[in-house]
Amino acid sequence: MFGLIGHSSSFVQAQEKARELGLEEMAEADMLAWCSAPPQLLETFKVTSRTGKTIEGTYIDSCFVPEMLSRFKTATRKVQNAMEMAQKNGINVTALGGFTSIIFENYDLSKFQQIRNTILEWERFTTGNTHTAWVICQQVERNAPLLGIDLSRAKVAVVGATGDIGSAVCRWLSQKTGVAELLLVARQQQRLQDLQTSLGSGTILSLEEALPQADVVVWVASLPQTLSIDHDSLRKPCLMIDGGYPKNLDAKVAGDGVHVLKGGIVEFWQDIGWQMMEVAEMENPKRQLFACFAEAMLLEFEGIHTNFSWGRNNISLANMELIGEASLRHGFQAIGLSPTQLAAAQGGLELAAA
Amino acid sequence: MATLEAPELSAAVGNLPDFTTEAYKDAYSRINAIVIEGEQEAHDNYIAIGTLLPEQAEELTKLARMELKHMKGFTACANNLGVEADMAFAKEFFAPLHNNFKTALAAGKVPTCLLIQALLIEAFAISAYHIYIPVADPFARKITEGVVKDEYTHLNYGQEWLKANLESCREELEQANRDNLPLIRRMLDEVAGDAAVLHMDKEDLIEDFLIAYQEALTEIGFSTREIARMAAAALVG
Repeated sequence: MFGLIGHSSSFVQAQEKARELGLEEMAEADMLAWCSAPPQLLETFKVTSRTGKTIEGTYIDSCFVPEMLSRFKTATRKVQNAMEMAQKNGINVTALGGFTSIIFENYDLSKFQQIRNTILEWERFTTGNTHTAWVICQQVERNAPLLGIDLSRAKVAVVGATGDIGSAVCRWLSQKTGVAELLLVARQQQRLQDLQTSLGSGTILSLEEALPQADVVVWVASLPQTLSIDHDSLRKPCLMIDGGYPKNLDAKVAGDGVHVLKGGIVEFWQDIGWQMMEVAEMENPKRQLFACFAEAMLLEFEGIHTNFSWGRNNISLANMELIGEASLRHGFQAIGLSPTQLAAAQGGLELAAA
Repeated sequence: MATLEAPELSAAVGNLPDFTTEAYKDAYSRINAIVIEGEQEAHDNYIAIGTLLPEQAEELTKLARMELKHMKGFTACANNLGVEADMAFAKEFFAPLHNNFKTALAAGKVPTCLLIQALLIEAFAISAYHIYIPVADPFARKITEGVVKDEYTHLNYGQEWLKANLESCREELEQANRDNLPLIRRMLDEVAGDAAVLHMDKEDLIEDFLIAYQEALTEIGFSTREIARMAAAALVG
C-alpha cells in the first residue's frame, strides 16, 4: 500500500471539493474551522503498472490550504497529523505532496518525531523529490531540441538552484546532460558558492542577470505574486520549465517564443480510477499527476520501502537513474510541449530561418 | 519550491507557563474542575450503562473504578498548586451533554450512551491530556501520563461494543453524533480562554479531539466518507 498526502490549491477550492463530497458543513465552514479540521482519508484505489503488477494506494487530504502558510502551528500540525494518519493506516510509503514536503523541510519537522502516542517512522515517507528532479531533467532534454535549442551550446538557468530538487537538477544537467553552461540562481550566497564548488562549474548570477542569457530556465522556486518578468529581454526561443509550486508561470511570460512547460508532472500509460487529481487542476486528471506522488507508486511497485527522498541535498545521480528507469518501466512519461506549443514553435523557427 | 520563513522554535514548541501566577491558578480552577467532574461523571455513566448491559456490568464497574482513581489524582494536582476546583462551573459545563446522556439512558439507548461517554468524552479527554502533558507542571504531568493510557482502554471498550453491533445501531449513532458533537465543540469554545492560559491551543484541542474520534469511528466500521461527514458536524455549530 502506498499513500499520497495532498491538499487543495486554495481555500475556495477546498470548500468546493467538500461540497462535491457531500460535506456541506465543511463547505460552509470558515477558515478558522478549517484550521481545526483533521486530515481525511478520502480515497483508496488500484494502480496497474505496464508490467501488469497492481498495487493499492490511498489519498489523504491534509486539510491544509496555502492560506494557512502564515500560521506556523496550523501548517505544521496539518502535515504531522496527515503523516500520523498514513502511518496508523499501515501505509508502507507515503509521498508528501504540494506544500507538505516544503513545510516539513523548512520548519525542520524531523525534530518532532512523536505525535501523541505515535513515533513517526521516517522510512515510511518520501518527499518524492528524486523522481521530480529526474522528470524535470527529462523535460529539459526532450523539449529543448524540439524548439531548436542545442543543449551542448545552451545556457540553462536553474532558479532555486540550491534547493533539494534544484541542486539535483544542476548535478544531472552538468554531469549527465552536458549543457554548455549552468546559471545558478538562488537567494543564499553561501549555499550557491558551495553548490558551485561541488559542481566544479556553473555561473552564479542574480535572476535579473540570468534571465536574458538563458535558453532554458528551470524554475524550482515558487514565484512571488509580485514578480514581473520582462518578456522582451528573454531569449527567443526560450524553454521554461515551471517546476515550482504553485505553477503560476504560464500566465506571466508564455507566448511569442517563450514556451512554458509544467515541470515535474508525469502522465501514466492508462487511466487511474481516482478523483483526487482533479483538485490539482491537471489537464488530464485521470492520467496526469505530480512526479512526487508517482515516486510513492514506483517505490511500492519496486518494493523499495524506505524514505528514498529525504532531507536536503541527498539526491544522488544513481538514485535518479534508478527511479527514472522504474518510471519508464511502469508506464510513466514526463509531460512535454503540447502540439499547439510545438506548432507555434515551428512557426517561429521557420521565421527565424527566413 | 516555496521558501517559508521559519519562526523562532522556542515560541513554537511552547515554553512552560508560570504555574504560580494568580492568572494561571484562576484558569486552572476551572480546567481542573472540568477534569474532576468529567472523571466523576464517567464513573457514574459506566455504572449506569451497566444497568442496560447486565452481562457486562462487571467489566463496566472495573472501568468506572479507574475513573474514580483518576479523579483522585487530579484532585491532588489542584492541591499541589494550592488551587480550589470550581465544581459549580464544571457541573454547568457538562450539563447539556449530561442531560442528553440521561435521556438516552432512560430510553434504554445503549449506542447513544456509549457514543456520548466512551467515544466523545473519552476522545475529548485523550486529546486534552495529550496537549496538556507537555505544558503541565511536573506533578500533574506524571499523573496525566498515567491517566491517558487508561482512557484508551475506555475508548476501546466503546469501540468494540459498537463495532459488534454497528448494523443494528448505525442510524442511532449518526443521530447521536448530530445531537452531541456540536455540544463538544461549544464546550471547547467555552474553555478556550482558560486553556490558552495553560498554553493549550484551541485549534490543537479541536483537531486532536476529532482525530481521536475519527479513529474510533474507523475502528467501529464507518466508511471514510461517512466519517468525514460525521466529523464535519463539529466544525460548525
